[in-house]
Amino acid sequence: MDIVRHLACFVAVAEELHFGDAAARLGMAQPPLSQRVRRLESELGVRLFDRSSRRVALTDAGRLLLPEAREIVARVERLPDLLAGTGGGGAATVRAGVPGDVGPAVLAALFAGFRAEHPGVRLVPAAMGTAAQVTALLDGTLDVGLVHHPVTIAGLGFGPVLVRHPGVRLAAGDELASWSAVHLADLAGRELVLVPREAEPGLHDETLAACRRNGFVPARIHPAADEGFALGLVLSGTAVAFGPPAETPGTVWRPLAGAPLAWRSSTAWRGEPGPHVTAFAALAVRVLREDAGMTDDGATPARRVAPRPATGFLA
Amino acid sequence: MKAIEQVFRSAGVAGWLHVADVDGDGEVALGADEPVVLASVFKVPLLLELHRQADRGLLDLAAPVPLPAGARTPGGTGLSAMLDEVTMSLRDLAYLMIAVSDNTAADAVLAHVGIDGVNALLDDLGLAETRVVHDCRDLFAGMLADTGAGDLTALAEACADPAMTARLAALAPARTNRSTPREMTRLLGMVWRDEAASPASCAAVRRLMGLQVWPHRLASGFPFDDVAVSGKTGTLPTVRNEVGVVEYPDGGRYAVAVFTRSWSTAQNQPRADAAVGAAARIAIDHLRAHI
Repeated sequence: MDIVRHLACFVAVAEELHFGDAAARLGMAQPPLSQRVRRLESELGVRLFDRSSRRVALTDAGRLLLPEAREIVARVERLPDLLAGTGGGGAATVRAGVPGDVGPAVLAALFAGFRAEHPGVRLVPAAMGTAAQVTALLDGTLDVGLVHHPVTIAGLGFGPVLVRHPGVRLAAGDELASWSAVHLADLAGRELVLVPREAEPGLHDETLAACRRNGFVPARIHPAADEGFALGLVLSGTAVAFGPPAETPGTVWRPLAGAPLAWRSSTAWRGEPGPHVTAFAALAVRVLREDAGMTDDGATPARRVAPRPATGFLA
Repeated sequence: MKAIEQVFRSAGVAGWLHVADVDGDGEVALGADEPVVLASVFKVPLLLELHRQADRGLLDLAAPVPLPAGARTPGGTGLSAMLDEVTMSLRDLAYLMIAVSDNTAADAVLAHVGIDGVNALLDDLGLAETRVVHDCRDLFAGMLADTGAGDLTALAEACADPAMTARLAALAPARTNRSTPREMTRLLGMVWRDEAASPASCAAVRRLMGLQVWPHRLASGFPFDDVAVSGKTGTLPTVRNEVGVVEYPDGGRYAVAVFTRSWSTAQNQPRADAAVGAAARIAIDHLRAHI
């Protein structure tokens, strides 16, 4: 039997939990689909679904098989991409996801660098947040991504984690603009523009937690997936935003004293990375270090502590 | 600096301030050349002169100094608050005089160094507006005479009366240990640049000022683990001073001199204490933002 095709049928039924819908998705009639699932069950010697007249449910064995089956199907689907370009057929393709906050200069360095190093490989970039990338990596529609941490999803592999410490963007007229560095607590009472939680759940939650720990509870949070929208809110003095140094007329960027926010990012892929994914990931790490000023997580120098008698040990 | 004036005003004090970049020309000044009462801040030039005399071989910093039980200068900290006879080296007395503003320790050091020695130091450094005219014991004796109080407790109670406070010669710069904010930051700058004495002596002065325990004035403006604050407070009825140096991890160092007089005679005014640090922070942030 063609076990991969049978597994693809199993995955479709497991995701739809309806034989008719799964058959429609696969573009086949329902009876042969049911037959394939039964043959897979007899081949493996287990029942994968509990079928009642009303509904279809995965058995424990089915639940166990599903991620493995997805992986196998996706890998087989990727085989043509992997081999393309080696035998003179079509060009190999790498589908790469990058979050929108990376910045044009860094993106340019990444895309141009990859094209220069791998002229035979077609790079298909897509702007997407971490949550969308994780979904796309898992279902095989994305080969490699650049994600913001924390991401706690089984089945993904990650490159080295890099960290950057964002500063704050203020309207030029903000009273804090005359200070060389801003403390999070100084922002108290202000409104905050932040990437939407749906797009960057880990970064969103960690950023807000750090703000609260340091005495900044935003009066209101404006979710902004779009850089222009965020900039508009800052320019108008409505809200402040966190991010890398940026020179935009009408706004000022100031570092946050003590670097209380740490935004962590890494490359990500599913399963064993192929050569093109490895190449893209290595380039991405290099570009983030050199062009985005990110440093290795844990390589950030230990915070200096200047001892004071009143706040030291046993005082 | 409107923001600094606002800090002083909302804390209920009048303030005189000078903040200067130790390694550059940047400064923030607010009444920086006005004569101010030093109170215990005079212990800084005293500490420096102690080390200069040691540099010249005039005294031994490790020499033991006996302090009998009955002859303590009034004060709430250190030897002034202790009951029994002790013997301590000059340099350990200097530690107590700076770390907890111990008045007995300060007078013992001054007895060895001499008031003329301290003023000669000030002349050498070109600090003409800074003078030391009496030790802690004489300063207290003057306040007791001015108010008619019998002891420290009675003096504290008498000073709750603004009319009584107004009589204190110790609060008139011309009649007590005095300086200007600008001369104090010049002195600190010379200590931090190793120009005021031998490098080892300057380092010893810096070390002791870094060991001062009080967190409520200058240090309160810099609640950052990686910022070092060294200082010396000065306190008398309505007077809350501190001079010191604030050092940032990027190497920036700023000499600070803040002198305040509160409108109220209340002794416990945490906001007035914190205003010293808040004003210094605003001034230093200004210097760091406008390099």
